[in-house]
Amino acid sequence: MTSEVKIPDPIDLDRAEEARLRRVAGLAAQRTTPAGEYAGFESVGLPELPPQTERERQVYTLEEGEMLVNMGPQHPSTHGVMRLVVKVRGEVVTDIDPVLGYLHRGIEKLCEEATYTTVLTYVDPMDYLSTMHNEHAPAIAFEKLYGITPPRRAEYIRALVVELNRIFSHSLMMGFLALDMGGITPILYGFINRDEIVDMLSAISGQRMLFNFFRVGGVNWDTNDEFLSRLGTWRGNVLKNVEMSERVMTDNEVFRARTIGMGTLSGKDAIALGVSGPNLRASGVAFDVRKAHPYSIYPELEFEVITQAGGDSNARYLQRLAEVKQSIHLIDQIIDKMPHGPVQAQVPGIIRPKPGRAYAAIESPRGLYSVYAISDGGPTPYRFRMRDPSFVSLQAIPKLMPGRLIADTMAVMASFDPVMGGVDK
Amino acid sequence: MWTDEDTVEVSISGDRNVAVLQVLRDDPELNFFFLADAAAVDYGPTEHFEVVYHLYSDRHPAWLRVRARVNRADPHVPTITGLWEGAMFHEREMYDMMGILFDGNRDLRRIYMSPDYRSFPQRKDFLLPDDAADSSAAGVRPLERPETWDLSRLSDELGPGVLANAEGES
Repeated sequence: MTSEVKIPDPIDLDRAEEARLRRVAGLAAQRTTPAGEYAGFESVGLPELPPQTERERQVYTLEEGEMLVNMGPQHPSTHGVMRLVVKVRGEVVTDIDPVLGYLHRGIEKLCEEATYTTVLTYVDPMDYLSTMHNEHAPAIAFEKLYGITPPRRAEYIRALVVELNRIFSHSLMMGFLALDMGGITPILYGFINRDEIVDMLSAISGQRMLFNFFRVGGVNWDTNDEFLSRLGTWRGNVLKNVEMSERVMTDNEVFRARTIGMGTLSGKDAIALGVSGPNLRASGVAFDVRKAHPYSIYPELEFEVITQAGGDSNARYLQRLAEVKQSIHLIDQIIDKMPHGPVQAQVPGIIRPKPGRAYAAIESPRGLYSVYAISDGGPTPYRFRMRDPSFVSLQAIPKLMPGRLIADTMAVMASFDPVMGGVDK
Repeated sequence: MWTDEDTVEVSISGDRNVAVLQVLRDDPELNFFFLADAAAVDYGPTEHFEVVYHLYSDRHPAWLRVRARVNRADPHVPTITGLWEGAMFHEREMYDMMGILFDGNRDLRRIYMSPDYRSFPQRKDFLLPDDAADSSAAGVRPLERPETWDLSRLSDELGPGVLANAEGES
C-alpha cells in the first residue's frame, strides 16, 4: 500500500522540517491509494441513480448560451428551505425545477403512530404561519370519525382564533412580498401586527408559535381576561396598522412596476394546476371553502367571496389586503354572536372511533387544506393524509417564470406565499 | 356507493380512473372541476393499494371521493396529469412514499426523498425505527446493527492489540 516517496537529505534540515515532510509524504501516499483498497469500502459502492425522466432531461439539457443556477436551499427568499434549479439565458429564465424535501419530517407517517389527540400536536409545525388552521382540519375530521359535535362556544372560539391567524399570516405575506423586492418597511408593520396577534393567541393557548389549542370535541381553554383585553387593544389599532402598510405599498411606484403584469395566471390554468385560496381568487375564480363547503360556524356569518380580475402578483397582494379587512369584519361578527357555555365535549383521553373514513377541508391562508383520515377501530389513525395548499401552488412557478427576469422569480414566488414547512410535511 | 354527511364515495378499479374522472370533470351536469386531493392508501402487505381522489363541484353540495383500487404486487395506474396538470406533485409524492407507478406521467421521480433512496416509507411494511427490529428487513444492512458485529475476526486478521488500540484512542 505504501509507495516510495523520496525524502530530501535530512542533514541540512532540522527535525521539525523532517517530520513535516514525512507527514506530507504520508498524506501523498494515502491520496494515491485507490479507493477500493480501504477496508470496508468495497462493499458499499455508489448507488445507481434511476434514469432521467422526460421532464428532467428537458430541464437539465443545456443549449448554447444557457446555464443552471441553484437558488437555495439556504437562500433567504425561498421562504424556508427549498432549492430552485433555474435555467437561465443571460438574465432571462428559460426553465425552473423546484427541488423539495429539505424539510421533510414524515409527519403523515408519524401521525399514523400517534393517538388522535397527539396528532393535533404533530400537525402544528407543518405550515408554521397558520398553526391554528393546521389543527382545525384534523379536529373536524376526527370529530366526524368519532361522531361528536363540539359545543357552540368552542366553534365560535375556533372561528375567532382561525380568523386571527389568517390576519397575521396575510400581514406577513404582504411584508415578505415587499421584502423580496427590497422594501424593508412593510415587513416591520407586518411583524407589529403579527406580534400583537401571537401574544394574544399565546394568552389563550399558553404557547407562542405552535399553539396546540384544538382538541377533538372542542378547544383546550376558554377565553381569559388577558386575551380579551389584548383583543380589544388590537382591534382598536389594527385598521390603522393595515392602512399604514397599505399606504407604503399599494400606490408605491416601484411596487407597482414590479407586480403589475408579473406572473399572470388565468383562472383556467389556476384550476388545472390545483392552485387554491387567495391565489385562485386573485385569478377571478370565486372558490372559497368557507362558502363552497361551509364548515364550523361560517354559514351563520355574513361575508362575500372576494375576487380580483388581474391574476398577477399585484392582484394576489390586493386579494390578501381585502381578506385581512374581511377577516376583521368576521371577527367583529363572531365576538357579537359568541354564546356562553362549555368549550369542550366529554371525550375520553384516548379515543377509538369506529372503522371508517372522513374527509375535512378548510380554507387556510394559503388555500384548500384538507385531511383524509381512515380509522381501523384502533387508538391511532390507520392513514392520515394532509393536502397542503402551498405544495400544490408551487407548481405554478415553473409555468409562469419562463421568459421573465431572474430577479422577478422571487417576487412572483413571494406573491404565492408558500411555506416550506407545509410543502415538505 | 357510500355516503356520509358531506361526502359521496365511488369505488372503481385503478385502470379506469382516467375515463371516470374525465366524465366527472367534463359532464356539464356533474362539473367536478376542482381536484381537491389525490392520495394513496396502503391496506397492508397482503391487501391492495388505493389511489383516492377528492373532487369538488359547484353543482353538488358534497365532496366526491373516488377510490381507485390498485394491485399491490404490480402497482400501475394511468396518470391523470392529462386532466389536471396539478396532479403532478401528488403523483410524484405517491410514487415517492408508496411506490405507485403512474403510466404516462412524464416526470415520475422522487419529490421528498433523495433520488438514490430505495424504500417507500409510507407503506405499511416500512416500520419506524422504534419497531425496526421486528421488520422483515431487519438484518439486511448489518452496519446499522452494532450488536451483530463480529469484532473477533478483525483481531484474528490484523493481529492482537488492534482492538485495544482502537478502544484506547476513542
